[in-house]
This record gives sequence, C-alpha cells and structure tokens, in this order.
Amino acid sequence: MLDTLQLMGQGFISALSFVNILAMAGGVALGIIIGCLPGLSAAMGVALMLPLTFSMPADTGLIVLGAIYCGAIFGGSISAILIHTPGTPASAATAIEGYQMTLRGQAGKALATACWSSFWGGLLSCISLYFFAPLLAQLALKFMSAEKFWLGIFGLTIIAGVSSKSIVKGLMSGALGLIISTIGLDPISGTKRFMFGQAFLAEGINTTCALIGLFSMSQVFILAEKAIKQRARATQFTDKIRLTRDEKKMLAPTVLRSWIIGNIIGILPGAGASIACFMGYNNARQFSKHKEQFGHGAMEGVCGSEAANNAVTGGSLIPMLTLGIPGESVTAVLMGGLIIQGLTPGPELFTKHAAMTYTFFAGFVLVQFFMLAIGTLGCRGFANISRLSDAILIPCVTVLCFIGSYAIHKNMSDVVVMLIFGVLGYLMRKFDLNTAAVVLALILGPISEKGLRGALRVSGGDITCLFRSPVSWVLIILSIVGIFSPMLMNRFEKKVAGVDLEESSES
Amino acid sequence: MKKYLALVLALCMVLALCACGAKPAEAPAAEAPAAEAPAAEAPAAEAPAAEGWAPDGPVTMIVAYKAGNGTDVTARILAQYAEKYVGQTIVIENVDGGSGSIGWSQLASAEADGMTIGFMNLPNFNSSIVKELGTYTTGDFAAICNHVTETSLVLVRADDDRFADIDALVAYAKENNTVASTNGAQASNHIGAQAFANSAGFKYTDIPQGNTADELTSLLGGEADWCVAKVADIAGRTDVRALAAFSTERLPEMPDVPTLGEKGYYDQWLGSSRCIVAPAGVSADVIAFYEAAFKATMEDPDYQAAASEFATDYKDAAATAALIEQQQTFTEGLAEGFWYE
Repeated sequence: MLDTLQLMGQGFISALSFVNILAMAGGVALGIIIGCLPGLSAAMGVALMLPLTFSMPADTGLIVLGAIYCGAIFGGSISAILIHTPGTPASAATAIEGYQMTLRGQAGKALATACWSSFWGGLLSCISLYFFAPLLAQLALKFMSAEKFWLGIFGLTIIAGVSSKSIVKGLMSGALGLIISTIGLDPISGTKRFMFGQAFLAEGINTTCALIGLFSMSQVFILAEKAIKQRARATQFTDKIRLTRDEKKMLAPTVLRSWIIGNIIGILPGAGASIACFMGYNNARQFSKHKEQFGHGAMEGVCGSEAANNAVTGGSLIPMLTLGIPGESVTAVLMGGLIIQGLTPGPELFTKHAAMTYTFFAGFVLVQFFMLAIGTLGCRGFANISRLSDAILIPCVTVLCFIGSYAIHKNMSDVVVMLIFGVLGYLMRKFDLNTAAVVLALILGPISEKGLRGALRVSGGDITCLFRSPVSWVLIILSIVGIFSPMLMNRFEKKVAGVDLEESSES
Repeated sequence: MKKYLALVLALCMVLALCACGAKPAEAPAAEAPAAEAPAAEAPAAEAPAAEGWAPDGPVTMIVAYKAGNGTDVTARILAQYAEKYVGQTIVIENVDGGSGSIGWSQLASAEADGMTIGFMNLPNFNSSIVKELGTYTTGDFAAICNHVTETSLVLVRADDDRFADIDALVAYAKENNTVASTNGAQASNHIGAQAFANSAGFKYTDIPQGNTADELTSLLGGEADWCVAKVADIAGRTDVRALAAFSTERLPEMPDVPTLGEKGYYDQWLGSSRCIVAPAGVSADVIAFYEAAFKATMEDPDYQAAASEFATDYKDAAATAALIEQQQTFTEGLAEGFWYE
C-alpha cells in the first residue's frame, strides 16, 4: 500500500516535468478546438495525434492523448451552447439548455457552468481510476448481450425526460430514430437493410452527420426563416460569467450524481459519452427543484450533461487499462497508442510499468486543471459570439455544418445526409417533435437491437435469458422508475405547487 | 469594439475548421517524418530504383479504415520509414465507411500514375466483393507487395478448465451447443470459426459483435465459450489461451500451440493480410519501384524496431497477386454450403 502511494506521488513529480506540462496545456487547447468543431470528434482528434506521439516518450505521448480526449469532450459544449451545434455527440444534451441560456443572454454563464462541471466530472472520475480500477473493471465483463439490451432500453426511457412538451410527440420522434437506426448492414446476419444500393450506408447513418443536420442545420433554417436583422439574437447580454458560491452549491449535487452516472457508463463496453450526457441531463432534471426552468435555459441541465460526459473519460480508461477492453472508440485508439509504446494493457501496467501508469494518471488529474484554466479564460471571449448578428452567424454556421459533415469521412454523401437531416429537423421542430429524441434513439437503437438478438441467439430463442442476471434486473427497475417518475413527480409537484399558490395568494 | 472582436473570433472558428477539414489525415503523416528523419540523410541517394520511375511529388496511401485502427497504425509506421526509400512524403489518407468498400472504390478509380496507392485488407476486401458493397473486382488493382500477415487462432478463456486442448473443445462441442463470438457476420473471425467447426464436424452458435475488442469481451464475460481471433489481438494477454493455430506449420512465437491441421482439423492457413496495391493500369516500373522501396523499408532495422509488435511479412508482387486471387476464390467458395442455413 505504501509502495503504491509512493508510486502515485512519484507519478505527480514526473508528470510535472516541463515537457509534460507543455504537453498538457497544448493537448487541452488542441482538444478544445477539435471538440468545438462539429465533425471532428474526440476519437478523431486522438487518432490524428496518435502517430505524432510515437516519437515522444511514452508518458508524454499518453498525456497528450489524454489531454486531447478531455479537452475535446469539454470543447464540444462550446459550440453546443453558442450556436446549437454540438461539437461532438457527447454534447448533444448540453445544447438543449445551453442554447436557451445563450438566447437569454447568459452565454458566458452557460460556458462557465460547462467548464466548471466538466472539471469536476473529470477530476472525480480520476478517483475511481486511481483507487477502484481493478474492482470496477469487472463490471465491464458483466455486460453481455442481455444487459446491453436493457441498458439501451433504460437509455430510451430518457426520451420521457427530454420531451418536456408532449410525451406522445417525444415517443413518435424516438420511434422515428429507431427506424432510422435500422439502416445499414444487419448486425447479426450481415444482410443489407434499407441501403438502396448505396455502399456508404453499410455502417448505418452516421450519428455525427445526423446530429449536425438535426441540431445545427435545422437551426440555420429556423434563423433564416425570420427576417434577418442587424441585431444580436441575445436581447440582453450579461457579463456576469463567474459562478457564484450559491450557484456552485446548487450545482454540486448534480455534479456528484453525474459523476457516478458518467463513470459507470464509461466503464460499460459499447456505451460512451454520447449516452452519458443524456443520462446526466435527465437525472439533473429529475432531481431539480426548478423543473420549470428546464427547456428555458436551466444551468443544472448544462451541468448534468457536461459533468457526466467528462466523468466518462476516467471511467472508460478503467476496463481498457486493466482488462484490455476498450469501451468506446476513443479508448480503442488510446489502446493502440499504449501497445505501440510497448505497454500491453493488463495487470502488468500496475506492477511492471507502474511508474509509467501513475505518471499518466497524474497527468490525467493535472489535465483537468488545465482544462478549467483554459476554459475559464476562453469563456468571456467565446461568449461574445452570442452577440453577433444573425446575418453573420447564419453563413458561419452553415459553413461549419457543411465542412463538419464532410470532414467525417471526406465524402460528399455525408453532406447530403446532413442536409436531409437538416430539413427533417426543421420540419420536426415546426411540428414540435423532438430532435434530441431522434439522436438518442439513433445512438441506442443499434445497442439494444444487437443486445436483444444476440441474447436470444445464444439462448436459442428462450426469452427468459433477458431476466437472468442481477444486472439486468437493476436496469429493468431503473427503466420502470425512469418511465413513471416524471408522471409521479408531476402529480406530486402539482400538489406542492398548489399549496404554494394558495399561500402566496393569501399573502 | 466588442462586436468586432466577436466577429473575429467567429471567423477564427470557421477558418480553423476549414483548415482542419482539409488536412486532418495529412497533417500527422506530414509532420511526423519531419520530426523523425534527420535532414542529413539524402533521401534520393538511397532510393534503390531511382533509375526507373520515381514519384515526383507526395505519394497518397489510402487506408480504408478509420485513423487509429489497426491497419492505420501499421500503415503509418511503414509510411514513416518508407519515405527514406521512396524519396517523397507519404500521406496516409483514411477513407473509411461501407466496411472498407468506400476506400477501395476510391483507390480503384484513382489515376494510375503511381502517385496514389493503398492498403488492401484480405479477406475483408474479398468479402466486400462477395457482398456486392463495391463495384470493383480484384482485376481493378495491381499488387505491389504484402505488408502484414496475421494468423488466426482458436481461443478460450485461460481459466476455462473444460477445454484442456483442442480435442477437448471438439469433444465438448459435439455433445453440447457451444457459442462462439465473432467480429461480425461473415467477417474474418467468423470465417475461421466456421471453417474449424465444419472440419471438426460440429455445430455451434455464432454471436457477431462487430469488432474484435467486443468479440474478446464476449468471450471473457462468459457469453461465448470460444472464439477465433488473430495473433496480434491477444499479444501480451494472459486471460485467454490459444488452443490451435490456423496454419500449416507451428507459429515461431508460440511453439507450444499445435496447428489445427496436425490435430486432424482444418489444414489450410487462415488469417488476415494487409497488402499494398495500386490501381490497375500502372506501369511495371511503378510496381517495381514500390516493390523495391517497401522491401528495403521492411528490412530496415529502424523500421523493425518500431514494428516489433506486429507480424511484418514481406511478399513480392507476384506472390501478393496470387494471395489476393487465392483469398478471392476461397471467399467466393464459402457462399455455397459453407455457412449454416
């Protein structure tokens, strides 16, 4: 134990070398830029930097990659908040409340909330990385087909949470997303589904592409529909960016819950930051004392989403480092980086290569502070984007949408898909349907489908296989709670609100 | 004043993206060698086939998978050391999507001037033809050489005492229905599992996981009883055990693991290969130039040190062309009576 503590301490000392500090600052800054540009995801950023790290010392190389990972997950929130364009799918849920805050002139506050929440989410996730890694890694092996199916179902119950206006319209949107998610090669038999001879559809509709269309391009259409005037969208602009003590106090419970959610989601194979942000958002909403603010720019919504997606970073490293199981695309690339450096994931990382590993961990902790510093410095400047006139913003966002969707595969067909989803998103928003529910269903559809069909295949069609493991039951119970809690809470709150109203009318 | 500042910031965002959108794949490959290759080395002097054809600008190498994928990592290491012998910058371009078919379509239709070459992954390339994902055939490509060969293995969990050896697995599988995870429906490891089961005469249930990482997770989590994966996938792992190799001779890196053939099961080699090819129609000089340049690269001690984690396996153009055709015939032959159903 003492040895381990000593190694941890030494890790911090070696992580604080000049080169490593430079690597952290540079990596975070680069990550934030990559993250806030739509189309360039965290996985792409890490993959693009990977070859450059081959020539670096192992610890510096890994710290750079970790810094880009964390920076990109936070960076996605900047464009999500300012221009309703989630830079990465991990910030899809941030756009919901963040953009509303921007419209109310609180862009700076929203960015500061995102930055502060990301910092805590990331920092807390390091705790589990340091102390519970081998223990928590076992959780990844408990997630087989049946559990993945239930995880998908649990995720889909969030639709109830994100569709504040009408549950029916939310469900319709979710069903549309599920239908769209069946496009591509069948995951079990490999037959083509709804591809119409287009090879680029073999891997399904690209989530990022659909996301850019549904969130950003539709936003452009909606803005362009109104007469373009030379005025900023935010009617009032507040310069109060720094979070007050009271605000931090209010957000603290949300951060803690999102940390746990993000961390667990990060550990599970197949899930990732894009699911965690919705779960964090939904959780923040469920426990909020100011539910009426949701949909109109709730700070807790931004916090819940951003703390959860950054908590995924530490969590997702756990099964990758201890078991060699990468839970999501970013960690798969990171694992490639480890192997090239001659570090095979597994117990040896904590014995033979412990010095290296703890330097990386220490780097990961310090990266969070760099993220907080760079993010806080940038908030004020970035917030000014929200004061721009629509006449400037519309062409800029349009350019971002086109280039962002093209950059994914460097393929024009993705741009066409993005445009189709842009029109779809515009129409959906006109009819008050829910674009976030479509994205959620698009992400979760394949996970649940593969899980259900895989489980039934192994059991030979016996449906009881879905109800065998305790993990399945936990997820089933969570799903039921997820579906019915909004209704129960509503009823309960109406009673409370009724009492409040009576009281206030008396006075 | 603030308004202008905001405008400048917004423009910076757009411009930065324009820059990123245009060059993400090129940047690392272009920068890495700059840091790697010392200026003192005169590249042209070392180029072995300088008297024939030689590229007069940056060479593009198409990888049909995402940046950071196994093929991409090995390709970038090769490209980094090959620049010395090619005499030009080598730009790795990732054109992923459509299970690789998008990249191979682009390579097949590239100009046959020797400035664009790429990686072909066998047998995934052959499967994409059989599944009609692309409009190309093997005739649309000219083989240059082979880069990496990975042999398939039959794997079980290290602590699974039901299967002491491959015969125990076969005996068990004949009595019980076993589950094997694969890296996708009719993907390379599914082909391996099916070939093994057919040769041993038992039936099993396959559970496709889409990629090798999830395939191994399925095995480790106990959902699957066994699976087929390649040597590099289990490098350094202690939680899985190889029972047999899909090879005609025992593998030098694991001499204790028998081949399937010597135990009386499937007796051919199975695995995956990453070949380097050019669009059909390039001149013989171009092929000869790259063949020599990559051969020299793969013999370079610096390259070998950097590439110690994977199985470099140089084969010349003729042998590679034969391999592509052999894999094509094999993959097409699978369609009839190979799979269940």
